[in-house]
Amino acid sequence: MTKPKILVVDDDPDLVRAMRLRLRANNYEVATATDGYSAIASAQKDRPSLIILDLGLPAGDGFVVLERLQNADALAGIPVIVLSARDPQSNEERALKAGAAAFFQKPADNDELMNVIRVSLGSAAAAQQRAPWPS
Amino acid sequence: MNHKTTSVLLIEDNPGDADLVRLRLVEGKSPVSVSCVNRLSDGLASLTKETPSVVLLDLNLPDSHGAETFRRIMDHAPNVPVVVLSGQDDEALAMKAVHQGVQDYLLKGDISSKHLERAIRYAVERQGLLRALEITQKQQLEFKNRFLSHVSHELRTPLTCIHQYVTLLVDGLAGPVSPDQSDHLKTVLKSVNQLHAMIRDLLEATRAESGKMRIESRCISLSELLHQAVAMLRPTADEKKVGLEIGVDQRLPLVLADPDRVLEVLINLVDNAIKFTPADGSVMLQASIVDADPGSVYIAVSDTGRGISPEAKALIFERLYQDPDSIDNNRSGLGLGLFICREIVRLHDGRIWVSSEPGQGSTFTFTLPIYSLAKLLAPVITYQDRLRASFVLVRVELTPATNPPRGNWKETWQQCLEIVRRCIYLDKDLVLPPMGTSGAAETFFVVASTDLERSGIMTTRIREQLECVPDLKAKCMLAITTVSVQLPASGEGEPLEKQVQGVADCVTQMILRSMERKPVSVGNGSAGKKQRTSQSRTQLN
Repeated sequence: MTKPKILVVDDDPDLVRAMRLRLRANNYEVATATDGYSAIASAQKDRPSLIILDLGLPAGDGFVVLERLQNADALAGIPVIVLSARDPQSNEERALKAGAAAFFQKPADNDELMNVIRVSLGSAAAAQQRAPWPS
Repeated sequence: MNHKTTSVLLIEDNPGDADLVRLRLVEGKSPVSVSCVNRLSDGLASLTKETPSVVLLDLNLPDSHGAETFRRIMDHAPNVPVVVLSGQDDEALAMKAVHQGVQDYLLKGDISSKHLERAIRYAVERQGLLRALEITQKQQLEFKNRFLSHVSHELRTPLTCIHQYVTLLVDGLAGPVSPDQSDHLKTVLKSVNQLHAMIRDLLEATRAESGKMRIESRCISLSELLHQAVAMLRPTADEKKVGLEIGVDQRLPLVLADPDRVLEVLINLVDNAIKFTPADGSVMLQASIVDADPGSVYIAVSDTGRGISPEAKALIFERLYQDPDSIDNNRSGLGLGLFICREIVRLHDGRIWVSSEPGQGSTFTFTLPIYSLAKLLAPVITYQDRLRASFVLVRVELTPATNPPRGNWKETWQQCLEIVRRCIYLDKDLVLPPMGTSGAAETFFVVASTDLERSGIMTTRIREQLECVPDLKAKCMLAITTVSVQLPASGEGEPLEKQVQGVADCVTQMILRSMERKPVSVGNGSAGKKQRTSQSRTQLN
């Protein structure tokens, strides 16, 4: 069975490295990007099953990335988990409105984050197979 | 010299006095334009349309007298300087006026042209300075907020890096670590978490200070929150060998409160209590109703710690307060926790206080307002001073199709709640506020003074309207259940108020029982059975 691929987008390379280690240990394949532009390019090329997205990014911040993903039919179904140091009070609702599946403030609880990743991957797959509310 | 025209609004009902003041004004050296009205209401209307440089105000007008006159003018136009022109040499009234923001208090008989001109000029200057000061203070507060928000963001980034790598090591993902090394790393992690909590408190306190702290109230059962707080802090208590007990009155009514915020207060108080209680001591968390205050629930956290001195008691809820005696072993925060608790409780219209004697332990108590279903139910379930024969309780349940829900779930259910509100039959029918801690599923209750047959029209309308919400079918499942509640025959000697209270208690219990049911499971094919409308009858005794 192929491993689900997760795209990690963060402008701090040290954080990307740590996240890559943890995700690989949890049996995921990992792609990375450190700015908004390459995040979109990588999403198109690598077709990840899930994206972990920082908000403060050069070359198109996290909200721009969310908007681009939502507007691209082929990418709109990819669950995005926002992982940001920004204040949730002023950013969480905005991120969810823009299409994020969940918002975590840094530093996030690893177990909780891994759990939401698992559930999001599961429900994204289920949503693809299921016709919601048949008439 | 400033030759800009000074516009004066003169509010004076005596035509002779008005002419005299006008004469004094035009005699002056500076250009001035005067408009005169003789009633307070006309003055207020004029201030709505135009902003003069200054208001010259007589206090005794046909439609207002004394201090009330300047209070209403200043409430209406807080940025316009007001100079009182009075016939009364009343020093007490003059002081009162100045203390409340009037720029000057002049006696009509004493004013010369030069005197009046100068008084107006100074009044305008002083008001301008005050305004500038207010703006500066506001800007400083805004700057402080932005600064703290920026700093906390910048501090979180390296903190996250430390957290990530330490947890990698602790979890053994970067190779094996010895038990000793693991212990050391856990100590680092504890400090990282403390730093994180401090940053969070700092932001929270700033928010409280600038009035930006928000609560989202729901109808909640406190018992659930109390157990949640205890479960979260049980490991800390066990580690310190401190007993942690809970005592909840089973008949506790629902409260209207923000569950996340109340949990924050509970965790803060219980965590503090554990911190200040020696090994083998105990911490007790209780919730009860007090006869003397039937509108509130009292939540108390007591400990068997060393107690609080009277001096500390007076300051303990202030920002940055830390008990000087506790620095050696218990200091781990910024001293903002209790300040934040106080602000959260205050936003709920509750009170918080501490009672303690040194050496005798402490009890922190706070109150939350009871959600009085009886008051809201009365118009729905009574008719001509008697109980109706029956009413209908409709339960609308939205369960997200995915977990976590897709998109902005809060926005989705709030939109649905608004639609349900628009679908009710009569104005007096009720849609209760959101119930329970906000979990994945959201349940709304409608109380309608109708019968089961006719309620069908309403539930059909609710369903049809909800189905018009774009993407709702993809986002969640909908279940509507209707229960007809039969009321006992009235006129059995009990006052109507008591009968209504009895019904309200029963309805509260029905709602609570209904909330305890597990939400419909998702993701296993049950999504196809989306709308289940069941109808049943319940007899209240």
